[in-house]
Amino acid sequence: MLKLQRWYKMNLGITATQYLEQVKNGSLTVEEFMAKTMERIKKVEGSIHAYISLNDDAISQAKQIDKKLKAKEKVGSCFGMPISIKDNICTKGMKTTCASKMLENFVAPYDATVVSNLKSQDAIITGKTNLDEFAMGISTEFSYFGPSRNPWNTDYVPGGSSGGSAVSVSALECIASLGSDTGGSVRNPASFCSVVGLKPTYGLVSRYGLISYANSIEQVGPIARTVEDAAFILNIVSGIDTHDNTTIDKGKTDYAKDLDAGIDGKRIGIISEMIGEGVDKQVASATSKAISKLQSLGAKCSEVSLDSIKYSVATYYTIAATEAGSNLARYDNIRYGFDFDVEGYEFNAYISKARKNFGPEVTRRMILGSFVPSAGYLGKYFLKALKVRSKIKSEIDQAFKKFDLLFAPTVPVLPFKIGEKIDDPLSLYLLDINTIVANLSGIPAISIPYEIAQGLPIGMQLFANSMQEKTLLQAAHALEKTTNLPGVPI
Amino acid sequence: MVKREEIVHAANLIKIDLEDHEKYIEQVEKILNYFDILDKASAESESFVTQEMSLDKLRDDKYVPFDENLITQLKNYKGTFVKAPKMV
Repeated sequence: MLKLQRWYKMNLGITATQYLEQVKNGSLTVEEFMAKTMERIKKVEGSIHAYISLNDDAISQAKQIDKKLKAKEKVGSCFGMPISIKDNICTKGMKTTCASKMLENFVAPYDATVVSNLKSQDAIITGKTNLDEFAMGISTEFSYFGPSRNPWNTDYVPGGSSGGSAVSVSALECIASLGSDTGGSVRNPASFCSVVGLKPTYGLVSRYGLISYANSIEQVGPIARTVEDAAFILNIVSGIDTHDNTTIDKGKTDYAKDLDAGIDGKRIGIISEMIGEGVDKQVASATSKAISKLQSLGAKCSEVSLDSIKYSVATYYTIAATEAGSNLARYDNIRYGFDFDVEGYEFNAYISKARKNFGPEVTRRMILGSFVPSAGYLGKYFLKALKVRSKIKSEIDQAFKKFDLLFAPTVPVLPFKIGEKIDDPLSLYLLDINTIVANLSGIPAISIPYEIAQGLPIGMQLFANSMQEKTLLQAAHALEKTTNLPGVPI
Repeated sequence: MVKREEIVHAANLIKIDLEDHEKYIEQVEKILNYFDILDKASAESESFVTQEMSLDKLRDDKYVPFDENLITQLKNYKGTFVKAPKMV
């Protein structure tokens, strides 16, 4: 029995690259892998809750791809690969809830561009993954449907807001996932669950069909088992989209090519403000070890100070809340929202009643989002935050004149217990300090699993200049190769 | 220092009913007090980061129908109008 279980686990724990090899050489059928994935989901979901809803047609879709393969018809580059999607990314005909009571029954009428890109390459969506309501949080505890749990220790949070996505990849419930990263929401759960998470350059990936929270800083990004897998997904989802005017032309860049280029001679800046005060001892020790590894691979590492980082949390939350206040105004129960009839209500009372269905974190950010740009406070908070954001961006630009890459731990602390910080929102906000700088400046960043301390994962983070994903992925791949991490215990 | 009435007023503006939500007011007050750190940042000479796009980069001004009847997604859609609560 134990042998069988081990085989079972190993089989589902393969990387995207291994999956493609095995399907292409005929040693694995798409249906077999999908059926085992669904079986696995049923087995572990009760203890980890990665998914909000599942794709009931996944197995029949897998059969269709096997048929095409047998008939030697053209098959897309994903070959039926099971991929989960964060539930704030629209999937046609499937519920897209944002983990909110407000959208509990919302069925998306169209696919997000990232989803249609994946589908056009014959990826199969396993289901929609759990998140903090409207992607606001870093623990997935603010989901209306209940928290996801960390597969490394189910008493602990998996990080967030793309917690369900990271859990689904980590716990072998799919091969890769798409999350969204507004202030670290891909990288934070990737770090807490020991998987790879990439936040691309602002504009590299289309946001069409990503339910808006803070448009000027959010990006869709892949969560995967390896850097190579993340590069494979990035190739599929990136590039110009006529539905999103902020998208950038990537030319013919192939992110999965030349990943082995190494980091010999690369100049890496260690961000002083992210490795000192407030960093957990074990995270600090893992960071030192990772820096030594980077040096042993030929990188030239030295510290760099980004002075305005100390204002980044206040800057980020001021901007994010303002944009959220505007974006979430559409949930008025007339266009979208929670169901009850308009009869007998006055306009304001009706909308207030509908908005009582927002959870605690969304409610807080709506109030903040109304306050910080309001008359009398606009200059003090919102306009000041926009200026500080420019200052942060110029400090980053300066840093990239001296360095090819920047480096810091992804999160300053280890995963914490479920419920431990839920009543102290400010303490949760402060944990974003190492990730939000990439969102405020638009640069790409990646979290790489680095160590397991006391049974809990620690991730390391690399940043590159805008559109330098190739350099970023090569460096991440080099660091990843120095690790030898255990398999997930669940 | 932010006054509590101002927080309640901001909540009213965005139609969040705070009748029984003393906890939210306290938490928002604490967060706003933290945001005061921005007062110390010297960034007055900075300009804002804005997204600029030249007209030739915009897509053609051509009507492209959406392939689904999006309007049917509306709650209380009555065929030719949307039923909303009374304004006055």
